[in-house]
Amino acid sequence: MQADEPRPVGVARPVVEASTAVDVEDWRAAVRAACRPLAAAGAVDDRYAERCIEIAEEHGPYMVLAPGLALAHARPEDGVHRLCLASATLAEPVPFGHADNDPVDLVLAFGSPDDSSHLRLLQAVAEHLLTGLAETLRETPDRERALIVLTDVVQQM
Amino acid sequence: MNQTGPDRELRVLTVCGVGMGSSLILRMNAEKALSSLGVAAKVEHTDVSSARGMKADVAIAQGLHTDELAGVAPVVIAISNFMDVDGLRRQLDEALRAQEWL
Repeated sequence: MQADEPRPVGVARPVVEASTAVDVEDWRAAVRAACRPLAAAGAVDDRYAERCIEIAEEHGPYMVLAPGLALAHARPEDGVHRLCLASATLAEPVPFGHADNDPVDLVLAFGSPDDSSHLRLLQAVAEHLLTGLAETLRETPDRERALIVLTDVVQQM
Repeated sequence: MNQTGPDRELRVLTVCGVGMGSSLILRMNAEKALSSLGVAAKVEHTDVSSARGMKADVAIAQGLHTDELAGVAPVVIAISNFMDVDGLRRQLDEALRAQEWL
């Protein structure tokens, strides 16, 4: 999918996936939709999405970071095989039960195989979120373009 | 006595339910905000269960966790928009001034 280029030793290239205009009935389906391509790619197990949902059921909508934006994630031991990042834009926004930031129309998901592999990935994601990544993904109608946008983000990690 | 002041680094804890993602993004934003305030700080990120056994000067978390952090730090800051670094800077500025740490 992308050209090989040097990367610091020990930092694996993340698996990147995207889906756009996804029809979901509720926030649980939105989390599953964001994680599904990562499971299909073998980066996480199917139970990873379910674990993200369980954590939110237990602690509240921890994954909702900003108006309209969720970042689904759980722990390495919840079935992560490879460092990975995915986005799902929703055809219609759905409430996640967050007091200030509902409804959500963009769900990002990441998984890390250990407690440190994701640090640079998330740093890159956070920097890009501060400079319009969410808006870019929302305005991106097709999956291929969304993939290009996310691939660009992870290449800067 | 655990005196906090400009004489030593501020200990800051950013907290989320999992301790992997939200708290890490919060840590990066807190480091940005504190640096723009000129505050020397050591910022660590963790999950809410581990945080309960830790001590800090300032704890920063989503509103849904702040009740659980009352014993962790004298200053607890609730965040609703992780992308609003300026807002976090204002909250920190106000809270640190109230403690006379700034």
